[in-house]
Amino acid sequence: MMSNENRMTIDGAEVAFQPGETVLEVARRQGAFVPTLCYDERLDPYGSCRLCVVEVEGRRLPASSCTLKAESGMEIRTGSDPIRKMQSTLMEMVLSENPDDECPRCRDIGTCEVHDLAEKLEVGRERFLGAISNASKDDSNPFLLRDYDRCISCYRCVRICDEVEADHAITMTGRGWNKGIATAFDGGLMDSDCTLCGQCIYTCPTGALADKKMVGQGEIPGEVEVTRSVCPYCGTGCSINLHSRDGKMIGVTPVLDGPVNEGALCVKGQFGFDFVNSGDRLTRPLIRKNGELTPVSWDEAFDYTAQKLMSVRADHGPKAFYAIASGRAPGEGSYMLQKFTRAVMNSNQVDNCSRG
Amino acid sequence: MKSQVEVQDPITDRILDEWLEEPAPFLSILHAIQDHYGYLPEPALRRVSQRMDIPISDLYGTVTFYHFFQLEPKAIPDIRVCENSACCLHDLDQLCEEVAGADLGIEHSGKIEKISCPGRCDVPVPLLIGEKFLHGAKPGAIGEAVEATMPLPPETGQQECLFQHIRDGVSDLKVALEKGAWKSPLLAASDPEKLISELKTSGLTGRGGAGFPTGVKWEVVRNENRGPKWIICNADESEVGCFKDRVLMAHTPHALLEGMTCAGLVTGAEVGIIYLRWEYPEILESLQAAIDEATAAGYLGEDACGSGRPFRILIRRGAGAYICGEETSLLNSLEGKHPFPREKPPFPTTHGLFQQPTIVNNVETFCAVPPIVEHGGQWFSDLGLGEQNGMRIFSVSGDIQRPGNYEVPVGTPLRQLLVEFAGGPLPGREIQGVTMAGVSGGLVGAEDLDVRLDPASLDGLGAMLGAGGIVVHDDTRCMIKAARESMHFLKEESCGKCFPCRIGTTRMTEILDELGSGQPVREGIMEEIEDLEEVLGETSACGLGLAAPYITRMLKKYWPDQIQQKLNGSTQASEGADDE
Ligand SMILES: Cc1cc2nc3c(=O)[nH]c(=O)nc-3n(C[C@H](O)[C@H](O)[C@H](O)COP(=O)(O)O)c2cc1C
Ligand code: SF4
Ligand code: SF4
Ligand code: SF4
Repeated sequence: MMSNENRMTIDGAEVAFQPGETVLEVARRQGAFVPTLCYDERLDPYGSCRLCVVEVEGRRLPASSCTLKAESGMEIRTGSDPIRKMQSTLMEMVLSENPDDECPRCRDIGTCEVHDLAEKLEVGRERFLGAISNASKDDSNPFLLRDYDRCISCYRCVRICDEVEADHAITMTGRGWNKGIATAFDGGLMDSDCTLCGQCIYTCPTGALADKKMVGQGEIPGEVEVTRSVCPYCGTGCSINLHSRDGKMIGVTPVLDGPVNEGALCVKGQFGFDFVNSGDRLTRPLIRKNGELTPVSWDEAFDYTAQKLMSVRADHGPKAFYAIASGRAPGEGSYMLQKFTRAVMNSNQVDNCSRG
Repeated sequence: MKSQVEVQDPITDRILDEWLEEPAPFLSILHAIQDHYGYLPEPALRRVSQRMDIPISDLYGTVTFYHFFQLEPKAIPDIRVCENSACCLHDLDQLCEEVAGADLGIEHSGKIEKISCPGRCDVPVPLLIGEKFLHGAKPGAIGEAVEATMPLPPETGQQECLFQHIRDGVSDLKVALEKGAWKSPLLAASDPEKLISELKTSGLTGRGGAGFPTGVKWEVVRNENRGPKWIICNADESEVGCFKDRVLMAHTPHALLEGMTCAGLVTGAEVGIIYLRWEYPEILESLQAAIDEATAAGYLGEDACGSGRPFRILIRRGAGAYICGEETSLLNSLEGKHPFPREKPPFPTTHGLFQQPTIVNNVETFCAVPPIVEHGGQWFSDLGLGEQNGMRIFSVSGDIQRPGNYEVPVGTPLRQLLVEFAGGPLPGREIQGVTMAGVSGGLVGAEDLDVRLDPASLDGLGAMLGAGGIVVHDDTRCMIKAARESMHFLKEESCGKCFPCRIGTTRMTEILDELGSGQPVREGIMEEIEDLEEVLGETSACGLGLAAPYITRMLKKYWPDQIQQKLNGSTQASEGADDE
């Protein structure tokens, strides 16, 4: 019955699709090479880079597959010679928009969709040379580098800030060639609604946005290790990748398929890892003696703490005790703390800092 | 968050109180604020953001999109000078130098700002100071600039349709009624199916450029059962060389209002909105007066034309952006969104203003409805020559004796329009070529002046009829420069959303600059043009980018010798000296 329903043809092969899927999604699932630059699966289809154009049987003009909904009986061709040629031209045009000097992002964490794609399409920055658009912004915030010399105006940053983070901190300004990315009234991120979550960095397909702490890392020799982990800050449990070299953390990147965060992080998880390698970090117990913090043995520290806690309970009752677990402590630690509060201190006053 | 700090601004609050309950109030609110302060102050915008629930960053970005919203106070206005095709046939550098120091009767700063075509190509060169236009400023004859009036269309001596009574003072309601105005809406209300079938018979197609059959459009919206529906008149008329809607609105406004009212009564929409380009301040006033008059007389209002049904018409003023004439960009503009075009489908007929069924029609399209209702679809159709239907208005400007708007049967030969009606080239000159559709329909060379003015015939040449603007270039002109000016306009007005158009129109302009410079050009420049044409014409997201290749393709078709000369490194302009 209705054999044609929810089936279409991609490059000659008949395939099934789910209603609501776009041609781009179906084609990529089929293994077709359909390049994109303005596309991020977390965002609404936008259709601005036009690299994903495909031929649609019965239509005079190619269509952008990211915005085209799959329909029963559709016949799509993804990689014909004319399509590839236009994609290559488009890519050359994109490369011509920005200056040629080296880009920090490529060097520093080794990915840049623009340069990857240029390589794949085997084009360089040789033709269509002319004016260069956009300009770097001197932004004094501590985390985000905004180097719009490298921007290709895909507006993924604006869209992730709106659609995913709901912060609406940045916008596209101007029009045509004289477009740009700015906060309201074009100030710094710190004076805007930006929460410094850094998500714009990780959707940006170029080096226009970068983690200031990671800038320059590419020049340091030594293998960078990437370890998948869970953000220690709060109970949400966002997946993160820890980047380290020689056992020292150098940065965090979001995990796009993290089950709870799908690539989103907040400012703490994204940038707040300095404590790991901080010289101020406590490495052994200290007791203040005569006003000075003095290193002591673990036994002495335990005895001292136990004795103080017991005397608080004895003198003031269980209600005098209130425990707050650090959001940075592992779940097991938080469990132990509430057990201790209830069973040992007989208090039910226990909380976790990340509820605040 | 920082933007949640309450901002106080009683003036803006009063403006918001006044407007927020009105349909699509966004542009009106910003204009009211700008009228009061002379610009859009930050606290006012923050207040608008809070009360309209638009993130302040988005609001800021949207404001920066338009030419005529200002974020800085400017006590004394600059002089704005049109830089596009018909005007730049004059020596604009000299003109600018002269006007900067001139007493123009209006206080100005002496600073010059170039603007895109303000739709006054028949009275070049228009100067805009504050909100006042002067017409006819010519280099060497600044004194001839006069306060703007809206010229009537020159007569052709032939039968006219929309222009039939335009010289009789029908902008006055009383005169309009004597000439038979305001009869059609009641007929539309009593038999909407008949009106749609007459529209279909008439062969009337959209006069805004895309040429979609009007009857079909109205039928789709009528058959939609969601609402409220909207009737929108596209009066953004911003294409270089087009000024036909201007003359209709200035001199026969009741035809437009009547056509829109028919649309409302046929579809069940209760509100019509005229999206008027900012650069027509005179029309803002006269059209509002016509609306007020028609409302007072009961043709608009709670019981429109005695139909028992409400229909009212509002004007929303644009703020300077050609792309806002693209219907989906226009809708975003009205809604207060960033005015990029939307993805189509869905089309406005089903998902238009606020996602509701919406008719968007051009001014001329609406104006054609009353005569079709009065005389029947067949009558209108028969006005066309041969297979063609109806009449069309063409705006003719540039190197021509009698610039102006001419209403001629569809299918009229271009030569007849230019020579017989518009008086031909200036003495001792010959027509070398014309731009089409304004400028985005490409160019037609002298050898094809016998082409008939209908969409298919122009298509056959590889050009586009579009919205009926024609800028004439005589044999003193460099056609590479003409092409460059057309491309430059598209570059300036590209919304910038899609890559092929944003980068492509810029690179094309640069390449045409390089070709026109007379200096040796880089290797492979012709292949670059060809590759850009392909990408622009096939992958752009809207008509602006899609049309751009017409310009260079037609340049190569008709003037290969001018290009070859440049490629050979010759600094000589075509047949004569370029008068720039
Ligand atoms: C870049 C661009 C600019 C346009 N500008 C106008 C305009 O100023 N006025 C207009 O009526 N249509 C304009 N159009 C066409 C509209 O999108 C739309 O087709 C038209 O308003 C529909 O009305 P019609 O069917 O009566 O022509 C423009 C289209 C494009 C692509
Ligand atoms: S850091 Fe986060 S909040 Fe700030 S601009 Fe980027 S996405 Fe928006
Ligand atoms: S900064 Fe990056 S994400 Fe934002 S528009 Fe530019 S290239 Fe795209
Ligand atoms: S073709 Fe040009 S004007 Fe149209 S959407 Fe693309 S960039 Fe904007």
